[in-house]
Amino acid sequence: MGLIQREIEKAGIPTIGVSIIREYSEKVKPPRTVFLKWPFGHPLGGPFNIAQQRVVLAETLWALYAIQVPGTIIDLPYRWRREKYEDMDINIILARGTKKSS
Amino acid sequence: MGVGRLKNQIIAKIITRFPSLAKRFIESYDPWKSVDIPWTPVVKALRNSTIAVVTTAGVHHIDQEPFNMKDPDGDPSCRVIDIRKPLSSLIITHDYYDHADADKDINIVFPFERLKEFEKDGIIGRVANIHYGFMGHITGRHIPALINRIAPEVARNLKEEKVDIVLLTPG
Repeated sequence: MGLIQREIEKAGIPTIGVSIIREYSEKVKPPRTVFLKWPFGHPLGGPFNIAQQRVVLAETLWALYAIQVPGTIIDLPYRWRREKYEDMDINIILARGTKKSS
Repeated sequence: MGVGRLKNQIIAKIITRFPSLAKRFIESYDPWKSVDIPWTPVVKALRNSTIAVVTTAGVHHIDQEPFNMKDPDGDPSCRVIDIRKPLSSLIITHDYYDHADADKDINIVFPFERLKEFEKDGIIGRVANIHYGFMGHITGRHIPALINRIAPEVARNLKEEKVDIVLLTPG
């Protein structure tokens, strides 16, 4: 995944990748990554867990704007289970100190 | 189904439960020496941006040729995913992770319905109609074709389709 990401970024489109294997991302060095220590096949969360998927998507899009140093991997703090995603506000996630752009 | 594919699928089920086991595969995986890191600054606001997904989870339409699961180096080819087609036309061909949950809800690897909600909520500008599906177990002899030909082609198409942001998701 990281190899494809690098080529897209090289062509002039900003990219963000969700990683399940931190070691792979460290090795391949895509420009921007969020990492989740979650089971394979579940980068956005569990099936039909819409609240969880929305939180991960919001965090990922936030990271796209927040990362300023190429190759940065942000470790998302969410545990696979035992989180109350329904109580999280994605607008607050997205509004945290993102840089202003036009 | 051949014994080889069955074996891969059993290993995939085990690794899905215990991701730390995958480290052995990564260590033995011929590392791609990434020295420089490509970088394109993000200049457009999220609420005005068009987003496309490139997934390596093996997603494709049912009427497209499945990814080749017999080649031990994987399949570097790409499938065009058109989200204007029915959700039921999307399937996954990938023996190297357990996609039983993604078969139930494809959004956990290809979150296009969540992106559509973000579009409706005004969080993002637009979700692209066209997205790209790969199978994420590409190694050895297929890597040069992937990075020199296929991935740059996809990148050119994304540029032509006026995509501002690309989200990459694994299997």
